Amino acid sequence: MNPRAIPAGLILCLLAMLVLVPLAGLVNLGTLPGYESGDLQFWHSAYIRRVLFFSLWQAILSTLFSVVPAILVARAFALQPAFPLRGVLLRLFALPLVVPSVVAVMGVVSVYGSDGWLPLGRTLYGLAGILLAHVFFNLPLAVRLLLPLWQSIPRRHWHLAEQLDMNAWQRWRFLEWPALREGLPGVMLLVFMLCLTSFAVVLTLGGGPKSTTLEVAIYQSLRFDFEPTRAVVLALLQLCLCLLVAGLTLKLQRLPEVEITIDEASTAVKPVYRPLQLLLISLAAIYVAMPLVSMLLDALAGPLAQVISNSALWRSIANTLFIGLSAALASVVAGWLLLRYSASLALAGLVGRARLVELSGSIVYVVPPLVIGTGLFVLLSPHVDVFGWVYPIVIAVNALMGLPFVIRSLGPALRQNHARYDRLCQSLALSGWSRLRYVEWPLLRRPLGLAMALVAALAMGDLGVIALFGTPNTATLTLLIYQQLGAYLIADATVTALLLLLLCLTVFWLLERGIGGRADA
Amino acid sequence: MLEIRRLEFGYGDNTRPDMVFDLDVAAGEVLSLIGPSGSGKSTLLSLIAGFLTPAAGQILLDGVAIEKLAAASRPVSIVFQQHNLFPHLDLYTNVALGIDPSLRLTSAQTASVNEALARLDLAGLQSRKPGALSGGQRQRVALARALVRRRKILLLDEAFAALGPAQRAEMIGLVKDLVRENGMAALLVSHQPRDALIASARTAFVNAGRIAALEPTERLLEQSDLPEVREYLGSM
Repeated sequence: MNPRAIPAGLILCLLAMLVLVPLAGLVNLGTLPGYESGDLQFWHSAYIRRVLFFSLWQAILSTLFSVVPAILVARAFALQPAFPLRGVLLRLFALPLVVPSVVAVMGVVSVYGSDGWLPLGRTLYGLAGILLAHVFFNLPLAVRLLLPLWQSIPRRHWHLAEQLDMNAWQRWRFLEWPALREGLPGVMLLVFMLCLTSFAVVLTLGGGPKSTTLEVAIYQSLRFDFEPTRAVVLALLQLCLCLLVAGLTLKLQRLPEVEITIDEASTAVKPVYRPLQLLLISLAAIYVAMPLVSMLLDALAGPLAQVISNSALWRSIANTLFIGLSAALASVVAGWLLLRYSASLALAGLVGRARLVELSGSIVYVVPPLVIGTGLFVLLSPHVDVFGWVYPIVIAVNALMGLPFVIRSLGPALRQNHARYDRLCQSLALSGWSRLRYVEWPLLRRPLGLAMALVAALAMGDLGVIALFGTPNTATLTLLIYQQLGAYLIADATVTALLLLLLCLTVFWLLERGIGGRADA
Repeated sequence: MLEIRRLEFGYGDNTRPDMVFDLDVAAGEVLSLIGPSGSGKSTLLSLIAGFLTPAAGQILLDGVAIEKLAAASRPVSIVFQQHNLFPHLDLYTNVALGIDPSLRLTSAQTASVNEALARLDLAGLQSRKPGALSGGQRQRVALARALVRRRKILLLDEAFAALGPAQRAEMIGLVKDLVRENGMAALLVSHQPRDALIASARTAFVNAGRIAALEPTERLLEQSDLPEVREYLGSM
């Protein structure tokens, strides 16, 4: 028997428990406290239709407003391979990956709120605000996912286009669009899914009767209206939508695997387009940077001393660090074990099974964390005090949320490492600690550091499951910000958001550098 | 016909050029370029094609300087080792792009595309995609496009390196015929000295960014006194 099968099997069992048990809780409606068959009539209610319509409508608009400009910006980056600050701007576009949702929301409020640089007034709280925040997150993400598609066009094709005197339209038609259309559906579906399952943004900038999504409606049903039946039905509806999108993604997906090479000079472009393309890049960069800069300025002018002297802040910092680091460790260990098993299966020719093991780590794409949280909530609440279980539940769900990032960051390097050195290690009888120390650690520490840093930042910035299970004593910084916003302490929330951002960036940097080592290591 | 006059190229801000080339190619001639990797063979082709800008020197075609022209305006067709064809376009379109990238072809131009495909034994395959062809067939399509472009200079940058010996010999024979029939000047970069023997009456040995020797091919390959040539051939 493959010795890696046992730990990987244990992880798979845990994954199955974490996903299937809550789902079983959801499906078993009849056991819910206070359930009556008439409760289900609201399936046909205007409320459900409105929530469902708004969930889809904001996701569609967010996807269009993020991906269409991202195509233009990614093209501008691709066609301008050398200009000052190109690398810095591309790194800026990676920043929203580690910026917690509530921090971005504070930034959006800071820019577009009534006292902001570009005040939108009351319209900010609703669809407009949700779109602004979703574009802040997803435009840079889409740029970074689309740019490798241009870089995948062979340099020889650019030379041919130059020699055949193709104009910009012909280059687009014969070179760029064929490369782009391979990956575009996957990128659009990913952004759509992220917006469909977006929770913190909609909770803080929407949430009113006109702008509630399924995720927020689930939360409101459980925490405000105490209607578990409605929460369960909404969760099942969200699950069906996610399954549908995930099915489409599997069918159409071809997310680019190539990492962005910041200094790559792939092509030349006629000078006439250069100012236009640099303008596009600048506008996108301003859009991304503006909320962060504005929030920073507001926070520095805010009641810093008062916020820092609040003991709730320090308790929240401790909770945030504990949950973030624990989730990152759990996620990386689980991902590592799954990937090692998957790689050994692939090497043995069992490619289908290997792929299945890897895919199991991405189950959170299909079953959103809030759906799992809802299942756990309704399943556990009749028997135990769910708020007392906050740490294990939040850590487990956040670790699950981070698993796809671990698989994506660590997977390619681990597979390559395994294919190259597994037989050599076997012939040298290099195993266990020696193999980890001399072969795997030196070669995998960089993607491992990146994966751990990403998951930690993600978990520290999560406002999802913690909103369901958190209490004032167990609140993380994100929940504290949400509570401050609810009490109209906007200035306090801005300062706390800045502290959360600094904490996330510091932990990200320390983990990436501490584990991954320096870039030239 | 094609004259390269002290064509200089340097990387970075070096005041002293890394490469300096002098060369002549007659009409109807296929001149082979051999030499170690990194010696400057492909760089020379890129300079002639206009993908790189020389620091100084001249490229003359029938006495007219072309080194200032943009790549698209140069009388040059180039065939690479790979990525010559757009994989999502059929053979006809891949060749027709050589005449007009907008694909608005007159009936005479359409006929010339079909003639070129027929000349290269590709008749009847017009609607196939490159992925459905063998390596040799794909290079034939690239040659067909060079043929319809009717440019005077043909550059072959290790164009047949991925083919087997028999197919290489066949393709080189085809190139020689096309070059002779159309009065072109061709430069063939290859790592195989045997390709030079089949293709060219004269061969240049490129080393460290210079034309170290330009001699009749047989003499260069069999009797050269230059130690770097002997070392290069000995390492083959």
